[in-house]
Amino acid sequence: MKKTLLIISIISVGLSACRKENTFEGPSINEINSKFTILEPFKANKNSADFETSNAIFTARFNKIVSWKITIKGSISKATKIITGESKVIDASNATWNGSTTQFPLFKAENCTATLLIASENDSTSTTLAISKTKPLPTGARMIANFENGLDPNWTKFFQSGASMECIVKSDNFAPEGNKYLNMGGTVNWDWLIGLVDFNARAYQNNVTFPFSTNPENEYFNVLIYGDPSTNLTKALFQFKEDENGDGVFDATKEDEYDYSIDVTWSGWRLVSVKYADIVTLVNGNPASPNGNKQHNPDKISKISFLQLADPNLGFARCKIDLITFTQNKAIDL
Amino acid sequence: MMNRKTILLMMFALISMQGYSQKARKLSFVGGARSSVFSNSLNVTDTLPDTTTAKNNYGGYALIDLGFNIQPNKQTEIMGMFRIKNNYGGFWGSGVQFDVRQLWVKGVVGNAIRYQIGDLNLKQSPFTLYNHHSDRLDSLPSIFRLQQNIISYEQFYQNNTWRMQGANVDFGLTFAKYLKEINFNGFITRLNATNFANVNERLMTGGNINIVQSNQLSFGYTINRTFDLKATTANNNLFNNTIHTFDWKLNHSIAQNTLSIAGEAGLSNWNYSEDTLAPVLNDYFVHAYANLFIPSFHANISLGYLNVGPDFRSIGAQSKDVNYNSPTVFFNRFTNNQQLRPITLIDMIGNENIYNKTIGSTLATESELFNDILPFGLATFNRVGAYAKLQTQSKNKLSFQAELYQLNEIRGQGSLALKAFRQLKLNSNIPLHNLIGFSKKLGLQLGMRLQQTTRESEFAVENIDLKNIQYSAGIQYELIPDFEILAGFVQQRNNGNSFITERNEYGEVTYFRTSNYQLKQQITAVGLRINFSPKAYLCAMLQQSSYQDLSTVNDKAMADFKINQFGLIYNILL
Repeated sequence: MKKTLLIISIISVGLSACRKENTFEGPSINEINSKFTILEPFKANKNSADFETSNAIFTARFNKIVSWKITIKGSISKATKIITGESKVIDASNATWNGSTTQFPLFKAENCTATLLIASENDSTSTTLAISKTKPLPTGARMIANFENGLDPNWTKFFQSGASMECIVKSDNFAPEGNKYLNMGGTVNWDWLIGLVDFNARAYQNNVTFPFSTNPENEYFNVLIYGDPSTNLTKALFQFKEDENGDGVFDATKEDEYDYSIDVTWSGWRLVSVKYADIVTLVNGNPASPNGNKQHNPDKISKISFLQLADPNLGFARCKIDLITFTQNKAIDL
Repeated sequence: MMNRKTILLMMFALISMQGYSQKARKLSFVGGARSSVFSNSLNVTDTLPDTTTAKNNYGGYALIDLGFNIQPNKQTEIMGMFRIKNNYGGFWGSGVQFDVRQLWVKGVVGNAIRYQIGDLNLKQSPFTLYNHHSDRLDSLPSIFRLQQNIISYEQFYQNNTWRMQGANVDFGLTFAKYLKEINFNGFITRLNATNFANVNERLMTGGNINIVQSNQLSFGYTINRTFDLKATTANNNLFNNTIHTFDWKLNHSIAQNTLSIAGEAGLSNWNYSEDTLAPVLNDYFVHAYANLFIPSFHANISLGYLNVGPDFRSIGAQSKDVNYNSPTVFFNRFTNNQQLRPITLIDMIGNENIYNKTIGSTLATESELFNDILPFGLATFNRVGAYAKLQTQSKNKLSFQAELYQLNEIRGQGSLALKAFRQLKLNSNIPLHNLIGFSKKLGLQLGMRLQQTTRESEFAVENIDLKNIQYSAGIQYELIPDFEILAGFVQQRNNGNSFITERNEYGEVTYFRTSNYQLKQQITAVGLRINFSPKAYLCAMLQQSSYQDLSTVNDKAMADFKINQFGLIYNILL
């Protein structure tokens, strides 16, 4: 028994002795509670950013971990990008900017001011950065409409003849991308429909269908929509019509149509993205069974329609749309 | 014609009755029923009067758990238990819930191998798979224990087990020479199901071999492994946590006394296969103790040594029963700012919403208010030190337990200086009726737990001095047979400063928030209980809990409040 006790004691002490900890976990508490100082000033890694070829990186170094926020503001577009973090070092791992936007519009080729704010220390510092080339659309993105060339004559258009109708491509400070967008608004007191635009596949290099992949799980529909809460609630309805037999004609009684209805309840521009496989068929706003092969076939979409709808009893309604795209594998990153 | 019909009907009835009587031998009903009504009122003391929170709420429910225990043959037993629960106010079907509460099959193959499939209550050693209930009050007065028992029933807590689903097998071999017996046990359970997108199927397997050489010597090996099943989603980043342990026990007689030397030691590995941000953690633990049983004094004296590495990880043993991130549900928000109400003694004692049914996959949140010393029980990582325990019971059933832990950190937290921990527990059950020769049962419970954490660093800002103290007292007086008065009181005070550790999804420390406490919370209750049988009672109780933040350092971050509660519990176990 004495031997056993001795063996166990030796093993225990031996194992304890194996531990040699002369370090500690986490950030230093002494450091966290020390007076804040900036060890390396806040700066960008370049004066001029070409987002077609590379990203911009912001750097700074502090004596302790702090919560920080970088706000980048475009001098012309007034676009805003916000990057936040909690660290003692700002570098490529946490402050890389690919030219994307947090608050629309998108950035233009313009001068920007980046401001670093350390809220807990009531401290801020700024640097400047010019954009020489803006962020391109992601690889594999298919543009349906950005309205930079107005309304394509090969698109089918119908606008009601109500009061105060303004269904035109406009070029003003509201443009979230490029210089132009589609504005659609007016008072139509006899019908829900205010106007519609059919984006026919034939308008694009005379294709019967859009050149999308066969997998609906990989295809994402994206659109920028501007909401104006001071007007009647707008519904933006997008219809995706599949020409399943490839005869160049969409037959609503025998082929699938999928519908994505958006209640534009917000103020300002917002990016709306949805996976094509998640879009359902709607009849009078309610989910229904499609009339064709009942399978999502993005490669068979022959027509994408945008309809602006509003309750005829509630007066003037308006929304703006821009940058209608399809992207692969994920929603568009703007 | 009528006669033939009558005869046929009578024969059918007879056959049915025979069938019924045969089935009656193989079918039994188990379960329970409970009805509970509570009326709660909240009283907030804030700088601005709280005008936004509803101050009263009422609620209750009736439920029945009906279990069918079927034995189709001698070797097999099937259990299916259904629950019907109706919240008060839910009539005619609305508010009525139907659930399957238990479902399992168990049996014996060839009179040798026992198995169970379905719901399982599992535990292994305190370092592999074990529900430590580490934040529970040891000396909970009976009136509060009633509420805690309901939580244990609801969450399937039985003797430190966790509720899991899977299959369990055990069997044993006996020998005539050299060895007495070898027992084997193994299980496989499903911790979480895949979502078919990025969350993989996660399983836990475990096994134990226990070799009993003689009544004097036994030893064993335990393995526990939690892992993600490959290819259950496109996510190839697979989690793995494996623990191997070796345990031993030696018994030695010294005169009439028995000395036992026992312990367990083991290794753990924790990693993600492809996540480069995730750490790979490898570490070990040692727990050894000597226990002397002195029958003449009905006393047990233990001395133990504990060394659990800072990187020792065992999700089966380091999951907590209390989820400190869960909403308290009743009076969840209060004050004009609609602050989240903190978890207090009234929740720890009787709020089943804050308790977990099974183990979690990530490191559970700790509470330095309720347990700063051993938040994961013996499996708390980053602890080294010793403990001593004493348990004794006199001939007239007066019992006394004392426990002292003296521990240290192994690796510093945000500082090279190490924390020192001390815990002292004193509990006693005093059967006053035995001591003073009173004919009616009169019992007194007294308890105290002191936890002290200190750190002295070369940098004063890193120093810690936190003291948590709990007192409890309970009384149980039998007025007439099966009719008792119960009363209880628990007070907890937290004084001093510390740092709250923030961790990322891998359990790595990311930040330390300064905390200063001068908290006082207490709960007082009185009640009457009628015992209809050992398994059925009706209890009416009135309890008041209070929470007071006396600190001036943190500008009274939390408003003081009181909760008064009247409750009626009718509980029956079939």
